[in-house]
Parts: sequence; structure tokens; C-alpha cells
Amino acid sequence: MNATHHLSALAIVLPLVCAFLMPLFDRWRRGWCTPAALGALGFSFAASAAMAWQVMTAGPFYYRMGNWPPPWGIELYVDYLAVFTALTMTGVSLVILVYATKDLLHELKPGLLGWYYTLYLLLIASMVGMALTNDIFNLFVFVEICAIAACGIISIKATKECLEAAFKYLVLSALGSGCLLLAIALLYMVTGHLNFTFISQALPEAMRLYPNNILAALALLLVGMGVKAALFPLHVWLPDAHSSAPSPSSAVLSGLVIKIYAVALLKLLYQVFPPGIFEATPVLTILLWMSTMAIIAGSMFAIVQEDIKKMLAYSSVAQIGYVFMGFAIVDPSALTGGILHVFNHAMMKAMLFLAAGAFIYCTGVRRLSDLKGIGHTMPIPAAAFTIGALAMVGIPLTNGFISKWYLVLGALHGGQPVFASVILLSSLLNGVYYLPIIVNAFFGEPQGRVAEPRPLPRQMQVPLVVLGVGCLLFGLFPSLILGLASRASQALLGL
Amino acid sequence: MNITEILLRLHQNSYYFFAIILFVIGFHTMLTHNNLIKKVIGMNIMDTAIFLFFVSIGYIRGGRAPILVPGADYLYVNPLPSALILTGIVVAVSITAYALSLIVKLYEHYGTVDAEEIMRLRGGETL
Repeated sequence: MNATHHLSALAIVLPLVCAFLMPLFDRWRRGWCTPAALGALGFSFAASAAMAWQVMTAGPFYYRMGNWPPPWGIELYVDYLAVFTALTMTGVSLVILVYATKDLLHELKPGLLGWYYTLYLLLIASMVGMALTNDIFNLFVFVEICAIAACGIISIKATKECLEAAFKYLVLSALGSGCLLLAIALLYMVTGHLNFTFISQALPEAMRLYPNNILAALALLLVGMGVKAALFPLHVWLPDAHSSAPSPSSAVLSGLVIKIYAVALLKLLYQVFPPGIFEATPVLTILLWMSTMAIIAGSMFAIVQEDIKKMLAYSSVAQIGYVFMGFAIVDPSALTGGILHVFNHAMMKAMLFLAAGAFIYCTGVRRLSDLKGIGHTMPIPAAAFTIGALAMVGIPLTNGFISKWYLVLGALHGGQPVFASVILLSSLLNGVYYLPIIVNAFFGEPQGRVAEPRPLPRQMQVPLVVLGVGCLLFGLFPSLILGLASRASQALLGL
Repeated sequence: MNITEILLRLHQNSYYFFAIILFVIGFHTMLTHNNLIKKVIGMNIMDTAIFLFFVSIGYIRGGRAPILVPGADYLYVNPLPSALILTGIVVAVSITAYALSLIVKLYEHYGTVDAEEIMRLRGGETL
């Protein structure tokens, strides 16, 4: 066991420890909060990158927490999917945090910044934990940390809308966690194990003896993770929660948090349940049609929105559908597309929310029809918004094109051309609500507050530029990340 | 399967049976009641039902507490589910505390704990 192996635990533990030091720093040395939070996330990102290097060169590895061997101890399994997810989560959240250091000063009451960092670091640590863990109860604990922290970064703003949205999110999230825990109980009942590897070894036998238990567990998992990942029609909490929260929170919730539950469900479905379950039950067909509904309905709802953040929130409902669709078409290309879309959508949706936050920060305008001419007065956020919108539609040269390309290839190759046409149709729908905003922004006459915006601080410009360049870079040179995603999908499908 | 056999089965699995009944009651309360406090109560009933279910997995009829001393040889219950549920209880308590504090704040803003009423005050957008 070399030093890189220990990084897998440290990538989770260090942000957790730093999270609880934040309130202390806030009292004692206020200036230390921001560097400490950035440092903790930066370390997590560097650790994820080092693990990715290790996994790509030497293959996946297990890490035993406290050196207790499984099945007694908790185990981390660092494989392609895990490092891919950990890299996405830490990288994008680091960029969002840079933006947050400035934006939150005007969105939160003074004195709350330290507490915000606490919640933010808890959230990221729990997501990295969910990506790496190989223990089902450990997964549940991280899911709960993630749920509370995610509600916390909404309700910290303490306006009427935020509180109401946070409560709705909390109740439905608790419902999802309850379903997850019951599913864990049902699995533990028939297998006697909590470790993914041991459960998957015991399940084929258990499947023969107690099929009803496993079917119920599967249904509960699907509902629990579906609610948390906002899979249509279980998405009712998402639009309010993501549109009322502070802009950095919206970016991290829409870009990262809903994806991690999709990834967790993917891990459980492909690594824990025996392959025979897909023939015995129509679980993948259900997921496939739910994701189709999500893609179409999410875009339909987004078209009629007036509020820029609400439109972006409904667009997330549609985009999570792509991720689930990639997971449910059993084909290497489609699975690669789905996994890749986790990363690509995290970048573009974070960028869109941050650009929307920049518009709101500088002009106070939230209505789409009032954003006419914003491209003349605020070129950098408007350019970032344009890149993000084009990536959402899936125009070539942007990263959104790559993941959609793989999804369509997978749908055709997997013998389900209906879903290829769904993806094409939804690209048109995306165009219907994203393109008018761009046209308005660059060809309208700025009026009122849009004509004379406040200057945008540099800390808020840099993340937009980084994400915008990233979207183009991964669109032009997708091989940078594609290798990891395609190996992850091959490992999951056992190729 | 005749009626006595069903009743016998239910009696043998009464923990599971009642846990599921409680789960459904909690689930129903949580989703259908408008009163926010009742939603939180429903959430707690649901969580408790899951805890009951989980702990009863580890129970063995006639088993004793798993305190093992050298030389002792007796049937003991599985301690792992109880240990896990301790974590579950802590989580449920913290979620309850958080939900109640949100309700206090909501009451300060809207002057009511009724979800329908809050929707109406917000301007009629119902989902």
C-alpha cells in the first residue's frame, strides 16, 4: 500500500475536518476561512488527480479504512468510475468556490460565510465519499450528510422562498433516504453483508431463495435514488430549490449533487445486483422511459419559464434524463456517453448558473425578457452563457456534443433507435429556449439597469472563463477525459 | 394457504409486518398532510418503522445480549443491525431538528404552518 492509496481516504477526511474548523476560524481569524476552504478542496482535487493517475497506470485498488479487512471494516474501492466522479466533483466545486467567495458577500447576511464553507465542504466530502465507498451503509451515511448539507446551502439565505424550497427538499430527501435504508435492510436480511463485493457474491444464491426481497429492495432503491436525483416525475422539489438558492449553491446543486445519486444508483445496479436481474425485471426499461419523459417534459417546462434560474433548473431535470438514459441503454457507447455527461453537464450547468448569478449580481435582473442587450454591457458572463447554451443544445466544438454523440451512437448500436430520435428532438427543444436568450443578449438594445451594470469582481470572472475554456477544450479534445469514461463503462459492463 | 396458516405466518413475522404497516402510515402522513409539523411526525414514524425492521432482522428468538465471555456458550442476537441503527437514529434526530427549525423560520415569515396556506401566500404556484 503506497502513499497514493492513503490519498483516497484523505480526499474525504481532510474536507470533513476543515469543515468543522471553519466556524472556529470564523471567530478567531476571519481571514483564514477562505484560504482554508480553498486549500481543502484543492487538496481533494489534487488527491483525486493523483488517484486517477494511479488507476490509469496501475489499475483499480481497494483501501481498507483503519486496516480492518472486509467484511468487518469499511472499504473504499477506487476504480475508473470512482476517480472520474471524484475528479468531476472536486474540480467543478473548486471553481464554484472561487466564485462563491465574492458572490456570497452580497447574497448572505454578514457573518455567515464561515458557516457556508462548513456546509459546502461537508457536501463535497460526502459526494467524494459516495463516489469512492464500497460499503452500502457507509453510502447511506454519506447520502444523509449530503442531503442535510444540500438543504443547508439553500436555507442559509433565510428568505421566504429559500426556506420553503429547503423544507420541501428536506422532506422529499428524507423520504428518499428512508427508502434507501429500507432497501439496505432488505439486502442485508438476505445476504448478511454490507460490503458491495460480498453482497454481489451472495446475491445470486439469495435471488433464487428470496426473490421478493430483492425485487422490493430494487424498487425502493429506484424510488429513493430517483427522488434524490430528481428523475421525472419525482422532480417536484428541484425547480424551487435550485432557483431560489444563492447562485453558487444552485450551481453546485444542479451541476453536481443530483448527478452523484445517479452515479450511486449506477454503482449499485451494475456492481452489486447480479446481471440476471436485468432479464428478470424490467428495471432498465422503466429507467429508460422515465428518462425519456424527463428529457421531453423537462425541456417543455423550461420553455415556458420567465425566470432565468428557474429555466436553468428545469433544464437540469431534462439533462439528468440524458445521464439516466445512458445508464439504462445497455451498450458501452451509451454508458460512456452517460458517464461523460455527468462531467460535461456539471461544467456547463455550473457555468450557466454562475453566469446567471453574475447577471443578477451586477444588474439585479432575473427575468429573461429584461436581459436584452446584456451581451454589450457584460461581455464575459454573456459569452460564458452563450458557450454553455450551445453546449446544452449540443453544437459541435462544445463538450455537450461529445456526450450526446456517444448517447446517440449507443442508442443506435444497442438497437433502440427510438431513443436516438428522442435525443435529437430534445436538442431541438433545448434550442428553442436557449437560443432566443443569446439572440436577445447580443442583438437587443440594453435598457434600464442592464445598460449600466455594476463592475463584475475578478474572482467571479475567472471561474466563468475557466469553465468556458473547459467546455471548449473538452469539446475539441475529448480524449482527455474520454479514456477514463470509456474504461469506466467497460469495467461496469464487464468487458 | 388457508387462513390459519396466514395468521401463523403473520404471527411469526409480526415485527416485519408491523414495521411495514408503520412505514406506510408514516409515508402517507408525510406526503398527504398539509400541516408541516404533521409531515415531520410522519417522517419520524417512517424512520422508526425502518429502525424496527432493521433491528428485528438481527433478532433471534430466545437470543441473549451479545456479551461474550470466554467459555460462555449461548445463543446471542446479531449486534450489527443495532449498531447501524444507532447511526440511523442520530441522522433522524438531526434531520428532525433541522426540519423543525425550518418550520419555526417559516412560521415567522408566513404566520402559518399549513403548506396550502403558504402556497396561497406565495402567489398560487402549486405543484
